[in-house]
Amino acid sequence: MGLEVDVTIHRGDFTVRAAFDVADGQTVALLGPNGAGKSTLVEAIAGLVPVGGGSIRLDGAEIHELPPERRPIGIAFQDALLFPRLSVLENVAFPLRARGGRADAARAAAREVLTELAAGVPADAKPAKLSGGQRQRVALARALVAEPRLLLLDEPLAAVDASGRPELRSLLRRTLAGFAGPRVLVSHDPVESMTLADRIVVLEGGRVTQLGTPEEIRAQPRTRYAADLVGVNLFEGTLRPLEDGAAALDTPDGQVIVALPAGMAPFPAGAVVRGRLSPTDVSIHVRPPEGSPRNVFPGTVEEIAILGDRGRVRLRTTPPLVAEVTVGSIERLGLEPGDEVWATFKAVEVQVMEQTPAPDTL
Amino acid sequence: MRRRLPLPFLVLAGIGAAFVVLPLVALVVRVPWGSAREALSGIGASTALRLSLEVSLAATAISVLIGVPLAWILARVAFPGRALLRALVVLPIVLPPVVGGIGLLQALGRRGIVGRWLYDAFGIQLTFTTAGAIIATTFVAMPLVILATEGGLRGLDDRYERAAAALGGSPWYVMRRVTLPMIGPQLAAGAVLTWARALGEFGATITFAGNLAGRTQTLPLAVYQARELDPGGAVLLSLVLVFLSLIVLIALRGRVTGAA
Repeated sequence: MGLEVDVTIHRGDFTVRAAFDVADGQTVALLGPNGAGKSTLVEAIAGLVPVGGGSIRLDGAEIHELPPERRPIGIAFQDALLFPRLSVLENVAFPLRARGGRADAARAAAREVLTELAAGVPADAKPAKLSGGQRQRVALARALVAEPRLLLLDEPLAAVDASGRPELRSLLRRTLAGFAGPRVLVSHDPVESMTLADRIVVLEGGRVTQLGTPEEIRAQPRTRYAADLVGVNLFEGTLRPLEDGAAALDTPDGQVIVALPAGMAPFPAGAVVRGRLSPTDVSIHVRPPEGSPRNVFPGTVEEIAILGDRGRVRLRTTPPLVAEVTVGSIERLGLEPGDEVWATFKAVEVQVMEQTPAPDTL
Repeated sequence: MRRRLPLPFLVLAGIGAAFVVLPLVALVVRVPWGSAREALSGIGASTALRLSLEVSLAATAISVLIGVPLAWILARVAFPGRALLRALVVLPIVLPPVVGGIGLLQALGRRGIVGRWLYDAFGIQLTFTTAGAIIATTFVAMPLVILATEGGLRGLDDRYERAAAALGGSPWYVMRRVTLPMIGPQLAAGAVLTWARALGEFGATITFAGNLAGRTQTLPLAVYQARELDPGGAVLLSLVLVFLSLIVLIALRGRVTGAA
């Protein structure tokens, strides 16, 4: 049965409209830039924000009109939000006692969950004494202690410093895997979403722009945001055939020359198409390139990120490009942010796809 | 470098300090230490002191009981006339207490708009009773705990309360376990200030409840009565009040005076 969300939420001038399902035992990540409406959506599921239209069902029963305390939900927040005047133990016992549980039984259950998730965190300490990672572990314990039907995690790693993240991420993975009901994870971190979620709902400007497995989104990002996340170059615009069988793809950020796929029916004139280009197909030159490649884009290096023996180079060109090259060539070329470079790629490397209208088909 | 002080300012500040300290010094100097014991018993000081403590503590308890919910409504619930209600609720702070006393007489006196009904239906008379003194004192002192609590609630990060609701807390449970503990320091400071104000209350009490030894004659009223019959005793009682007030300020440790 799981969780079925199909809602419209109004918050001042901002409207969030989203529909997605989460099956039992499945993790769905809500991924999107800041202000996309991810937290609003989670708060609506938790009952903290009223739903303007549509419904939220859990195990088939509508829950969107219940007050928050009557929804069988466990939730952990971005800043942990441990109650500052209660001890760690009382924080974790809170959901049980709030629902009428006896104090000693609640504390015993809290102790058990703490041992499992936050061993080493002193149970009688006040939250202010804990590190960011410890707080988040306690928040996780608090979300799970009442054995909820649905688990909501709102940016659980955001307030944790980088050194504590890998350990917490693996704890998060185990916790999610051990939770039998539907799980919803809010994130703006693509790595976190891709590694922890079975499916991803990409939310932008209050709308679902893509919905699919991490593999699907990695293979076919549908928007610039999603493409940036997975590090793929995406060009979106109209196609204008050239004499030699190639075509110009006019995007708002500039023109890219692509090869029309052989044997493919020609796109109708003015049709919106997307061109996808793998970062590994982009070459970087520190001098104007020899010969006559058809796609040459002068610009500067914006950012270099090293991942193992590969380096991801973000280029300020028109249109903007991402190149993935070996660390060896970054060193050979002596690339530094701000350097003047030329990026090239072959027209045949751009995969052209017609824009499909609705994301729901994925 | 040492800060150089502007001389005229120093002089004025000195006058300011002397102005506040001089009456207190005078009280200490003029206390008839030799006959202190007789003076105190002669004017029923211990009765007045006990009554003062009873009245002020009862007024504080009532102020917290009804003032805190009122502060919560004012801080959290938007309704038409909220600004007006807030102004009215804190009005007793600036109102001459005697005006409050007269208002209470018109409302709860034996011929007051509610008091008449109380008397006719239940035979309850509040004027000239200890209960009346408590009511008059509450009227004057309650705004302090309301202001402090409302300030605390407004400064509170409401995400904690929302989290508590999402974790299964009913509004009443969230209030008890999360909200009130978080504003505890402000609430306590407000309650202590309320108590201090209640201890010093004079005008509304004498107007509404009268000046009856053992029933409505609290310490300030006893001082007022003794100042003609027994000036030495009045000085001594005044010093008792100064002492109690100082204890309150020390207990608050800078929460009111602003020092850390």
